[in-house]
Amino acid sequence: MDTSSPAAFVNGALLRRYIGQKVRAVIQVIRSDVGSVIGKSTDDQQIVVKGSPQPPLTTYLEVIGIAETDNTIRAEVWTNFGDSFDVQNYNELCKLANGEFRHLFI
Amino acid sequence: MENSVTQDGIATVLANQSLDSSSVRPEIVVQVVDLKPAGNRYTFSANDGKMKIKAMLPATLTSDIISGKIQNLGLIRLLEYTVNDIPGKSEEKYMLITKCEAVASALDSEIKAEIKASTGIMLKPKHEFVAKSASQIINEQRGNAAPAARMAMTRRVHPLVSLNPYQGSWTIKVRVTNKGVMRTYKNARGEGCVFNVELTDEEGTQIQATMFNAAARKFYDRFEMGKVYYISRGSLKLANKQFKTVQNDYEMTLNENSEVEEASNEEMFTPETKFNFVPIDELGTYVNQKDLIDVIGVVQSVSPTMSIRRKNDNEMIPKRDITLADETKKTVVVSLWNDLATGIGQELLDMADNHPVIAIKSLKVGAFQGVSLSTISRSNVVINPNSPEATKLKSWYDAEGKETSMSAIGSGMSSSANNGSRSMYSDRVFLSHITSNPSLGEEKPVFFSTRAYISFIKPDQTMWYRACKTCNKKVTEAMDSGYWCESCQKKDQECSLRYIMAVKVSDSTGETWLSAFNDEAEKIIGCTADDLNDLKSEEGEVNEFQTKLKEATWSSHLFRISVSQQEYNSEKRQRITVRGVSPIDFAAETRLLLQDISKNKTSQ
Repeated sequence: MDTSSPAAFVNGALLRRYIGQKVRAVIQVIRSDVGSVIGKSTDDQQIVVKGSPQPPLTTYLEVIGIAETDNTIRAEVWTNFGDSFDVQNYNELCKLANGEFRHLFI
Repeated sequence: MENSVTQDGIATVLANQSLDSSSVRPEIVVQVVDLKPAGNRYTFSANDGKMKIKAMLPATLTSDIISGKIQNLGLIRLLEYTVNDIPGKSEEKYMLITKCEAVASALDSEIKAEIKASTGIMLKPKHEFVAKSASQIINEQRGNAAPAARMAMTRRVHPLVSLNPYQGSWTIKVRVTNKGVMRTYKNARGEGCVFNVELTDEEGTQIQATMFNAAARKFYDRFEMGKVYYISRGSLKLANKQFKTVQNDYEMTLNENSEVEEASNEEMFTPETKFNFVPIDELGTYVNQKDLIDVIGVVQSVSPTMSIRRKNDNEMIPKRDITLADETKKTVVVSLWNDLATGIGQELLDMADNHPVIAIKSLKVGAFQGVSLSTISRSNVVINPNSPEATKLKSWYDAEGKETSMSAIGSGMSSSANNGSRSMYSDRVFLSHITSNPSLGEEKPVFFSTRAYISFIKPDQTMWYRACKTCNKKVTEAMDSGYWCESCQKKDQECSLRYIMAVKVSDSTGETWLSAFNDEAEKIIGCTADDLNDLKSEEGEVNEFQTKLKEATWSSHLFRISVSQQEYNSEKRQRITVRGVSPIDFAAETRLLLQDISKNKTSQ
């Protein structure tokens, strides 16, 4: 497993902690523009994901990339996560992975 | 003066319809007759020798009655009262006493003077025997109104709430709100038939009345659902809580000599159904109990009708599921059966978008989907009931309920709830909980839910038995050909295979063997025993049978299991049986894990 550049689990609020670093987030697609996708993070914040994913996109997407600002990610990897996804669970995971159980995550 | 009533006291009362401490006291002393309890207070008739008026004493004076200060046939002085009309009977009035004092204890008899017509009830001599010839009597009866009307005029109708086993004669006026079917029974003392009805009076009080044999035959046709009857000469006894279906401490038995007369040509009353609502989040404690419950909720969704085949007689029955929500932010599925599914169910489907409030009386609470409700033949559905609860619920729903996210009661139940609550998510244990506890299930089988992986299915075990196609019992090969079923006492050319197998399961805490029967094993293996047998008999390079078992291994399931003790070679052993298998709902499992994490955090 490549652990040289780990991607931290983030929601909208946690994004700003990792500016310039690699993150992963699941977003709900709101709209898809040229060169970017506007989506909603699991804690209901609007996020701009730069890059050009391969269509078609499902309702939920996982993106892995560099956090550019506190609401922008430049994505390298796009993965369709389907049309039904439990955002609350994912959001709790983000909180735990950046909170007291941080030591368990790389 | 001490032992006498005020002359024309009742007339004075009727002339001064209310009296309080500030008024000039006309000093009215009346005699108390027919004193009896009605709920937490007492009613009586106030008598001045000429007239009587119904009266009610305040609850605060109940102690005076119990202590004997105020006695039946005793005298009281009225200090504060008001006179009201009895609703629907303008000619009759009753006096509500708020303050009075005892004047004298019980006299020998009721004080009587000459009879005089008035707005109060006219006093009748108690026993009036006039010799009449038979023809005279018949003539009078024919010339008279319907017998029921006569009964109404001559007898005071008792409210159901006032009946008790120690009371002499009474007449009640009730509506048949449920009628059972005639059932036959056989016991040590012979056989007979029985049926019962549920009776509801004007105040909404209910009682169950049972009739046996001759009485059952006599009254079965007389009692018609929804009609109103005068009933007297029944006997009361304490209700058997085990079979209790209505809220009443007593139940009634009618015998051949009881009187049941239909009240026709009369102003009808519609009894209000009395509800005893259980909030949705408290339903867990009623799961699989005998108690029937009432719910009120906002309709969230209504399904189309489905046809379900009833197990015991193979009859197709219509069913419709509706989802209700209430202020506890929980939802529950109610299955409507039979006419309720096709009739009121259709009505609900048509208006589902408006989210009506419905109240349902008499529902069974089952464990299907954790917790679910089911109608029975006597369930009663009221759409948009005119009650404070309904109004409150509707305004809650319009104000915030609509926007609130709700969860199904079956999936969100906390494990701390009462023992009676069982759902796939509430009594969850690890395998070690069972294996480390060898005495588990010693007294009676205990049930748990557990999530585990199938770790091994022994391929050379006897996995199935030959079963009768009608009753599923074991069959033996018949002498000539075909199979003999001992239970059905018949021979069939064919039989079907049914699973009975052992599977090993594992989780993070350990492993154990489970026994699984046909339906559950089918879900674990992924095909029927017949199909698996076909695969087994196939020969060739790739053994499909082995492949099938391999495929079933290392998949995880949610198991509902029972743990019991079994004697084996004079040694007690735990036997764990699969009672249900369901696929894993990953989101729900994750929520459960998150819950455990936060629980562990707080307990540390």
